[in-house]
Amino acid sequence: MKKIILQFSAIIVVFLSIWFIINQIQWMTLFKVNEVSRTTERKLGDMYWDMIEKSEKVIKDKDVNPPIDTILTRICNSNHIKKQDIKIHIVENAEVNAFALPNKHLVIYTGLIKSSENESELSGVICHELAHIELKHVMKKLIKEVGLSVLISMTTNNTGGETIRQTTKMLSSSAYDRKLEKEADLKAIEYLTKSGINPLGFADFLNRLAGKEPDAQKYLTWISTHPDSKERADYIKQSTKSPLTLKLILTPASWTKLKEKAEKPD
Amino acid sequence: MIYLKKFSYKPGEHEAEKASNSYLMSLIAFIAGLPLPIINLIATVVFFFGNRKGTFFVRWHCLQALLSQFTVLVMNSCGFWWTIHIIMGSVKISNHYISYIFTILIFNLVEFAATIYTAIQTRKGLHVVWWFYGNVTNLICKK
Repeated sequence: MKKIILQFSAIIVVFLSIWFIINQIQWMTLFKVNEVSRTTERKLGDMYWDMIEKSEKVIKDKDVNPPIDTILTRICNSNHIKKQDIKIHIVENAEVNAFALPNKHLVIYTGLIKSSENESELSGVICHELAHIELKHVMKKLIKEVGLSVLISMTTNNTGGETIRQTTKMLSSSAYDRKLEKEADLKAIEYLTKSGINPLGFADFLNRLAGKEPDAQKYLTWISTHPDSKERADYIKQSTKSPLTLKLILTPASWTKLKEKAEKPD
Repeated sequence: MIYLKKFSYKPGEHEAEKASNSYLMSLIAFIAGLPLPIINLIATVVFFFGNRKGTFFVRWHCLQALLSQFTVLVMNSCGFWWTIHIIMGSVKISNHYISYIFTILIFNLVEFAATIYTAIQTRKGLHVVWWFYGNVTNLICKK
């Protein structure tokens, strides 16, 4: 019996040793795995954005883009996020919605700006989507829903127009799973706090929109597709550490102009 | 790792053929079961139970063929589920994963070669004892 145990241990030792030795070779570099994933993500992001750009009206306005950019710059600088990598787009659409696409594209609908009562509410949603980007939730969701092989074939063969259409819809109008949503909420609180923005604004936004009349809910894509808003607002309030050092990002005048433009675009 | 040993009696032609078939069975099931590691184990278990009333030589080799698959079964199952998690997106591909796949590939090839060799030798009526698995078989299989 002792001999058998010794021989079995020897098998395990041999196995682990071989694994350890083979592991010394940098296979990821050799097979260019990271390069392939980065290229796939970049191509996918561009494909999705091209599709949205063709079907929606993209806003390029001096009263809309710069203020949003200022908010994003503050958040990125305060949280060591490379701002130049984030591609932010404002789309004219009445739906209260914002979503992230592969390759760090962040899309904000004017309906969201319209529904936000102050910059902290809007920043809360931006931080939440930014957290999905930084925590690499976008690719995780795509791989889970579509499969890695389909994604790679979409980018290498430039085929699957219908798949692109369907997955664009999925990315823009459905939430991530509960665990990832909570992770993004908690990360958003961290981003907001470090940026000197009150996270309670984010909680108020969730609470307020969740309480809207059911017939108004059809425009509240971001709220209706995400997990229970009341519950989220509660844990955002609980996770917010006080006292907070708050700093305004936009001047009241630029916030008012931003709202006006979102409500009545040219 | 593998050595020839004198068996307690000289097996007949029919016994040698049956004992050799147990390895061939595990080999075929092994090839068919590569994508789903459990298939080869199930096939060998079925063959083992089909021959449990056979002679001592046949039973002994059926059992060794069965036991020899357990280690690669565990290794392949881990590799299989690791791959599934990567495809599903819950785990990222890593250097550890690629090294693991190469390691199990080596173990599978060794097992494959050893099985072919044992099937040929057993067919000649020779008693082939595997390192570790032979001792476990001796412990379980009684006359």
